[in-house]
Amino acid sequence: MTIDDGKIITDEEIDILQEIMNIAFGTAAAELAEVINIFVELSVPYIRLIPADELPEYIRQEIHDVSMISMVEQNFWGKFKGSAFLIFPADAGRVFISLFEEGVASEDEGADSMDILAKETLIEVGNILIGACVGKVSELLGDNVTYSPPSVVLGNHPNDEIPQGLFDPANSAIVLRTVFCFQERDVSGFLFLVTSHESVQWIRESLATFMAQYE
Amino acid sequence: MNELRQIFETVNIGLVILDSELKVRSWNRWMTLQSGATEESVVGSPILSICPHLNNPVFLRNCKAVRAFGNFAFFSQKLHGYLFPFPPPRSLRSRFEFMQQSCTMGPIRNDEGVIESIFLIVQDVTELAVYEKKLVEMNMKDGLTGIYNRRYLDKRLEDEYKRARRYSRDFSLIVCDIDFFKKVNDTYGHQCGDLILKNVSAKIASALRKTDCLGRYGGEEFCCILPETGLEQALLVAERIREMIQSMESLYEEQTVKVTISLGVARLDEVMTSEKELFSRADEALYEAKRTGRNRVVTLDCPAVQIQAVSNL
Repeated sequence: MTIDDGKIITDEEIDILQEIMNIAFGTAAAELAEVINIFVELSVPYIRLIPADELPEYIRQEIHDVSMISMVEQNFWGKFKGSAFLIFPADAGRVFISLFEEGVASEDEGADSMDILAKETLIEVGNILIGACVGKVSELLGDNVTYSPPSVVLGNHPNDEIPQGLFDPANSAIVLRTVFCFQERDVSGFLFLVTSHESVQWIRESLATFMAQYE
Repeated sequence: MNELRQIFETVNIGLVILDSELKVRSWNRWMTLQSGATEESVVGSPILSICPHLNNPVFLRNCKAVRAFGNFAFFSQKLHGYLFPFPPPRSLRSRFEFMQQSCTMGPIRNDEGVIESIFLIVQDVTELAVYEKKLVEMNMKDGLTGIYNRRYLDKRLEDEYKRARRYSRDFSLIVCDIDFFKKVNDTYGHQCGDLILKNVSAKIASALRKTDCLGRYGGEEFCCILPETGLEQALLVAERIREMIQSMESLYEEQTVKVTISLGVARLDEVMTSEKELFSRADEALYEAKRTGRNRVVTLDCPAVQIQAVSNL
């Protein structure tokens, strides 16, 4: 395989990666429904190559109103390495509480504890969704990854912006975007996977291996 | 014992390995120390029978996610408190009934990459949780009296105002002030003044329900937020507080010090557009109580009731 136009990954490789993502997300959604009764639709992923320092601007353009979002970030490590970002509407955490936290706490505990509960619920939903998607992709590429604890990067604070320093500019990145939608809760958002520069070579090799089984 | 097993036994965190049926495969010494159950006694037993309260949707869902996706699951102290009901470290027993834990769960794969078992890491974060609790309290409470501070009071007032409006509920406020407090300070000194502030706030607190909220608004000014309370009830509470303070005796350096307080009461009405208006109404009533002789309860909400309340005292 050659790299044309100085790209770190070829158009053909992107097509293959897109296909793998599509299979992975399909499997992830089916298993989420089957295993833990979470019914989520994941759109056909869209893949782009973006220098990571342009990512905040890219996300801003994609989601229009950045003041009204919550974002869960989680890093994954393996040969497949990078960060996953789940972008939810600002109030999603509260919507998920009824879905996820049977009996953990009630609304009467006051506004502060509701905020904490909403945030922690978002982290748990994010962890499961990111884990399912990243897990399936890495499995298809022949790797097993480990994860950092997820964190909420933004809350529903109107003045927050996506911090520039969040993305390491050295990580010229393969960015995968998918739209997800929780059927029962009418909540949808974006999932971005930003792969680190160092795993690009491994991804290319894995894509070749993946294709070899069909050749 | 091989090297890794020795580390497994001696690390200062809890380590548990469960098989695919959630039966205990390994249980390190930290777990034995905290639970009193030896590894031999738990190996082979289902974790749900050793620890029945883990039989809840959140734990089971995460177990499934770990097995199906190779996910990691994180049980934060904030949301879950703990997974295993162990006693907290001795010095922190007054703060928490159980050790506060931050737990991580993840997959263990065999050489073929198939998930065969699940690991659980249990970290004792009780000390951190205590610090956080203290910080939150410091942010909410008045250092001298231990009742809520102005910052918290403002926030709570706003929340209760919104709640009362949303559900069309009764909501009343008492604002009170110690009479001639400066004299107490001048006569007996500031230490005595502090003692009086403490005693008065404790006494007022004892007259309130659990759902009410008492805060120190200024130097010797207090505010009682009374959700779900109409004007008549609020006046009764205020009068009870006035009587209790009047008959209260504080002992300072073998001298008995007595104080009285004046109280202003207001009820949220349909016309008010903010919690600030409600507070102003109560504050004006307090001013009126001061102006008309102190040691009394006044409301400006309904003149007939006001005269009665004052003259009855």
